[in-house]
Amino acid sequence: MAKPLIVARDLSIIYNQGKSNEFKALQGVNTDIYEGEYIILFGPSGCGKSTLMYSIQGSLPPGEGTLLIRGDDVYAYPPSERVYFQRHVMGIIFQSFNLIPSLSVIDNVALPMIFCDRDKATRNRRAQSLLDRFGVGHVSHKIPAMLSGGQQQRVSVARSMVNDPKILLADEPTGNLDSVSTQQVMDKIDEINTFDRRTIIMVSHNAAHLSYAHRVYYLKDGLIVREVVNPQRKQIKPVREGETIVTELEQLARLFPYDSVETLRVKSMVNFLTQEYSFDQLNRFERVIAFYIQGKIDRDALIKSLVLSKERGGVEVPEKEARRMAAVAERMIEHSSDIKRFRARKGNDNIFFSQHKLAERMRDHLSNVFHIKLNKEQNENMVELIADRVTGVVNEAEFNQRLIRGIRSRGLALSEREADELTRYFEKIIAQGVDVSYKN
Amino acid sequence: MRVQDLAQLSTRMFKNNPLRTWLTILGMGVGTGAVVVLVGLGFGLQQIILEQIVFGETLLSLGVSSTGSQGIRLTPDTVLEFEKDEAVLDAAPLARFPALITYKGLTGNVFVQGVEPPYLRYAGVTAQAGTVFTEEDAADTQSIMISPAILKLFGIPDEEMNNFIGKTVSLRLLVPANDGTDTVNEIPINKEYVVRGITKEQGVLNVMMMIPELRSYVSIEEYERIQVRVDSNSNLPIVENKLIEEGYRVTALSKTVEQASKIFQGIQIVLATFGGIALIVSAIGMFNTMTVTLLERTKEIGIMRTLGASPNDVKYLFVSESIVVGFLGGISGILMGVIIGVTTNLFLNFIAGQFGGQAVKLFSFPLNFLLFITIFSAAVGYLTGIFPARRASALNPLDAIRYE
Repeated sequence: MAKPLIVARDLSIIYNQGKSNEFKALQGVNTDIYEGEYIILFGPSGCGKSTLMYSIQGSLPPGEGTLLIRGDDVYAYPPSERVYFQRHVMGIIFQSFNLIPSLSVIDNVALPMIFCDRDKATRNRRAQSLLDRFGVGHVSHKIPAMLSGGQQQRVSVARSMVNDPKILLADEPTGNLDSVSTQQVMDKIDEINTFDRRTIIMVSHNAAHLSYAHRVYYLKDGLIVREVVNPQRKQIKPVREGETIVTELEQLARLFPYDSVETLRVKSMVNFLTQEYSFDQLNRFERVIAFYIQGKIDRDALIKSLVLSKERGGVEVPEKEARRMAAVAERMIEHSSDIKRFRARKGNDNIFFSQHKLAERMRDHLSNVFHIKLNKEQNENMVELIADRVTGVVNEAEFNQRLIRGIRSRGLALSEREADELTRYFEKIIAQGVDVSYKN
Repeated sequence: MRVQDLAQLSTRMFKNNPLRTWLTILGMGVGTGAVVVLVGLGFGLQQIILEQIVFGETLLSLGVSSTGSQGIRLTPDTVLEFEKDEAVLDAAPLARFPALITYKGLTGNVFVQGVEPPYLRYAGVTAQAGTVFTEEDAADTQSIMISPAILKLFGIPDEEMNNFIGKTVSLRLLVPANDGTDTVNEIPINKEYVVRGITKEQGVLNVMMMIPELRSYVSIEEYERIQVRVDSNSNLPIVENKLIEEGYRVTALSKTVEQASKIFQGIQIVLATFGGIALIVSAIGMFNTMTVTLLERTKEIGIMRTLGASPNDVKYLFVSESIVVGFLGGISGILMGVIIGVTTNLFLNFIAGQFGGQAVKLFSFPLNFLLFITIFSAAVGYLTGIFPARRASALNPLDAIRYE
């Protein structure tokens, strides 16, 4: 069995020991990290994830416990020898890039090699090739301030790789980046893991990144509270049979990264009691519906995707059921557009397609769906009620109450059950039809 | 870290913060400039005195003259007697007679001095125009040296001093009669002497010729003065005391020079102290700047440390930066000091030229002194840099990297 690259046993780190503001950042952490693994340390601020990373980096000596890197206790060496390990074994990327503003990009990348006494020609060759690889070769002679955040972070990735380290540490590398740059940087780091076979330890609190890792350590209050194995990646850490098994909890942890194990167990149970479909199916279901709502697929394609078997990436819904679902979805989308039109006519109503007409159409649709026969007064009250709800004069609960209320007091005198069903359905349509984007 | 990389990294300040860097250098420059100017002034004053005494032999000789009162006379026998002393290498006499000098029909009263070439060396007689008698001229019968006052006698301006060399003059010696009366016998010399050199003696009307030539006109029984050359510096006071005990009047130039040197050393120390205070002020200023730089660079130090810089790398970076500042401060101080000194010299010489005075170099900057200042300023730079550098290298990289 392969030996772990990094071994921590009962690792504790205490800040300001003996002072009134003493703080235990890590309280007895045990971990084994294997060569080539992609590990994410995940957790809220102050959970100790950065502390653990910097301790591995060689800048934070453990208060108690042991930390072995490649079998060596690096903190046993004097600082002058510890730097050898920092130069050749560790590469580091920071959230705030930490490029030196007074040096050109290429000199920044070559800086770790300067400390290793490498000559200028070798340095520049190596630095330039890395900059080219990470797509920032064309800016090598600019100063960092002239680069965008994404470019700076890619320069910093190049810098971390310049001494060809075994372990790449990343302290929230995308925390300061926009979504496009985040994607670029995450892809580069992933490439370093999969292509260069480097061990990656990343501190993050962005749940979207968890799928990159082999394993995710969840930290809370200085302790590793959970280790989540990513079932989508082939594991490097040898798994002893029966010791740890991949369960639905791992899958749920990725869907709901901020929830505790207890909450995930509850979710698992509730899902089983209320749904015919598994989380996996629901996940695919969501993707298909998303395409349908965005208009990327039509009704037939929707039915096909729903019917398709699990093995082929479908949801595996019976065809009859699928057709019913598609019909409902189509109807809801269609009527949601009336809501949109209604709200769009707030200021400039016209007689051909007035708000009143739209409200009448919605009324007819609702009474059709729920097979409710309405007399003239009920019809008028319903139109008024729909208009009030869509314009926001009444909220969901008031809408429901008005449906039950007597006709004289502007209600519809429906039964409680009818009212609840109608309210629920109508709210879904409103949800589809209301434009929530921010208008300047 | 390689030296060239260290040099590149520690001169970034000229690009990042040129104003502050140059101001710091200027501060150091003003401090060292003050030292350079003041000590240069001390050197200059000392040199003005020492320049007058060219020969080492002058310092090792004693001027002996008779006191007159005890009837002690300086005769040729006295010379031989002096030479008997083991500590005395040589004794050179000077005989003096009043005379009349004639040049182009103008006649004036002068003293003719008969000397041997060694006397000139021992007494430190030098020429400001023409040449001095040397050993080869011991038997010379054709040429004389005159003091500059004689030119004034003949109404020749200083500028034409050089033209006077090679001109001929005639002399008539005035020798007192040996019969106890006040009668003076006039002995005409029926030839013309070529003026070969003009001495630096001020305020006296002297003509110098070789003793054998003088002796061919008059008999010399008594000398005016004898220069005694002593073998070593340590014997100088011994011989001097012995002669004084014997009743001679003794003057030693070395003593004068020694005293002058002591005074000027004192002056130099005072001047250097004032300069030193200026230097201390600027060194404190530089120390302050280096400390601020440390605070400013704290984050950078943290980054470098996490990227694999050793504590020593960080220390060297800081120290070399302050050495560069100190060194350049020294260079600029030297430039400032020398420019001020040389300009003042030129200005004084110009003034002296206008008013007919003698030109002097008030400021003097020996090369060794400038070299010392250069090294010293780099050392001051090192000292002001070493404490911030130690603090920088001892910083915890993580605290440093989070410093804003």
